[in-house]
Amino acid sequence: MKQPILTVKNLRTYFYTEDGIVKAVDGVDFEVFQGETLGIVGESGCGKSVTSLSILRILDEKGKIVEGSIIFDGNDLTKISEESMRKIRGKDIAMIFQEPMVALNPVFTIGEQIVEAIVLHQKVDETTAKKMAVDLLRKVGIPEPEKRINEYPHELSGGMRQRAMIAMALSCKPKILIADEPTTALDVTIQAQIMELMKQLQKEYGMAIILITHDMGVIAENADRVVVMYAGKAVEYTDVKTLFNDPKHPYTWGLLHAIPRLDVEQTRLYNIPGIVPNPLKFPSGCKFHPRCEFAQEKCSLEEPELIEVVNGHFVRCFFWEKVEQAKKKEAGDEQ
Amino acid sequence: MVAYVIRRFLLLPLILFGISLIVFGMIQSLGSDRLLAAYVNPGLLDKLTPNQLEKIKEKYGLKDPMVVRYVKWLKNTLSGDLGWSVVGKEPVKDAILNRLPWTVELALYSIIPVVFVGVWLGIIAAVNRDKFVDHFVRIFAVVGWSFPDFVFGLLVLMIFYSVLGWFPPGNLSFWADTVVKSPEFRRFTSLVTLDALLNGRFDVFVDALLHLIAPILTLSWLWWAYLLRITRSSMLEVLTKEYIRTARAKGLAENVVINKHARKNAMIPVITVGGGMVIQLFAGTVIVEMVFNRTGMGSFTATAATQLDYASIMASTLFYSLILVIGNLVIDILYAAVDPRIRFS
Repeated sequence: MKQPILTVKNLRTYFYTEDGIVKAVDGVDFEVFQGETLGIVGESGCGKSVTSLSILRILDEKGKIVEGSIIFDGNDLTKISEESMRKIRGKDIAMIFQEPMVALNPVFTIGEQIVEAIVLHQKVDETTAKKMAVDLLRKVGIPEPEKRINEYPHELSGGMRQRAMIAMALSCKPKILIADEPTTALDVTIQAQIMELMKQLQKEYGMAIILITHDMGVIAENADRVVVMYAGKAVEYTDVKTLFNDPKHPYTWGLLHAIPRLDVEQTRLYNIPGIVPNPLKFPSGCKFHPRCEFAQEKCSLEEPELIEVVNGHFVRCFFWEKVEQAKKKEAGDEQ
Repeated sequence: MVAYVIRRFLLLPLILFGISLIVFGMIQSLGSDRLLAAYVNPGLLDKLTPNQLEKIKEKYGLKDPMVVRYVKWLKNTLSGDLGWSVVGKEPVKDAILNRLPWTVELALYSIIPVVFVGVWLGIIAAVNRDKFVDHFVRIFAVVGWSFPDFVFGLLVLMIFYSVLGWFPPGNLSFWADTVVKSPEFRRFTSLVTLDALLNGRFDVFVDALLHLIAPILTLSWLWWAYLLRITRSSMLEVLTKEYIRTARAKGLAENVVINKHARKNAMIPVITVGGGMVIQLFAGTVIVEMVFNRTGMGSFTATAATQLDYASIMASTLFYSLILVIGNLVIDILYAAVDPRIRFS
């Protein structure tokens, strides 16, 4: 049995704002294995980014991890000192962000920013670090890296900036790369290139990737296993094939229904009724029940647990079997 | 960049020409009767007959058309003759050269607390947002920013001179002034504090400094309060940027994140505002020098304006304009140095 390199258990991260407590992450569990890609998918505001920031402990001052554990290399990242945490950030666990336009510091050159990361975690001098930075830029597919290294972020295109971000994140050969919506701000052709690049580098370095996105297409193509999040909670957790072929949570089922299909005639796309709840006023019981087609009285009173319903398939729903029936009925309709 | 600076310098005479036209026009529009005051002892004005007055007007060209008078003034100025200063009782050039070092000294020493205290406290306040330090620092900033400098100056004078007797008004004590004016005291830089040290007269240095502290306090408080507010809000904005998160995600220590990644970005608006502020400091010396009874460009300009000493007014206005224009140029250059996105072509 393979050992996970990162185990997140019952993670809860709350933000203490003036308006009240925002339970941004309120019960998330997953494991990350070496060399695999774990997808975290959900709508805006479901807590997927906060989950990744919690792993690195770079939440802003109002955010606090109030419960749960994040086990990496035998240490609980929620408990170790800030100094030990700093040694992990950027070295063992690196991160790339959604907007390469704003994620690079505008007043330092690409080279300065990469060299800074190398010098910080590895015992090399500036000249060696600069050579390493040029090699990294070449590896991520930036043409004329010797010249680009002295350029400022605004002199590069969006795709190039994201490549530079990746080069920076990979500079210390991390064991885990957290990619927070790495392609959302890029146009479609560049998206494909960046995802391809990440896959290729993943193979080369043998690192694990935590891929955070709201795009089911990106998940289908890149992830090995998937966590579906809703309102701060993991609602379904399984491998990617099972998720797409056999979703068991009503929310996942709804999301997959909302994707346009080529093989069936559709006049109107399905949509999940209602809107994402206000994080200050989450509904009682199951957070999804006001929008759920299968909701019963029990759902508004009690909170379901994330349970393993089939081997390796976790669902947070009392009535997941109803989704099964709906699926069977639908399959019948289509024939 | 170099071409840009050269072009800006070529524009300089044009700007000064425009300013001189406006100021000259304003002064001359007062009419020839008023301008007589610069040529006749005020006590004699009533005793002269209208005929005699007309003759004086003719003698000094006060009846010529304004254009002729302006050309005459321009010719003299370009040949280095700025005229006679009634207020200074010496040629305007000498009057300015004798007073300028005092003002430069005051303004330069005021920049130090303004920039260092303002920026430093601004960053501290931003990093400790809504904590005790932040509130404490901001109270000082609000007080400083809300006080007019002439009121603040009088309060400082009252407390530190009348009550405590620590910081006397004026430029120097009488004994120190005698030392400075003696032939043994060599003037290297014209700045009296520096010269005192270079001459080895530590006592004169201390005396000059004691006379400087109260005016510096008055002049700088307003501006460091202002700079603190700009720095604080700029820093707060920068700290929410994604590249700050990137810097933290790299594993950088918090003080590197703040002092390297955040500060350089936060300084961009501070330089724009702060540069303009340094220019304003020179204007501020007008009031501060009057309040603390100091000799300098500020008090000279103020007295010249009240006495219609138009040769002095013209010269000092042009002097302040020169500072303003060059100051703005320096800000633009600094701006490009800090922000790589700005390039001049």
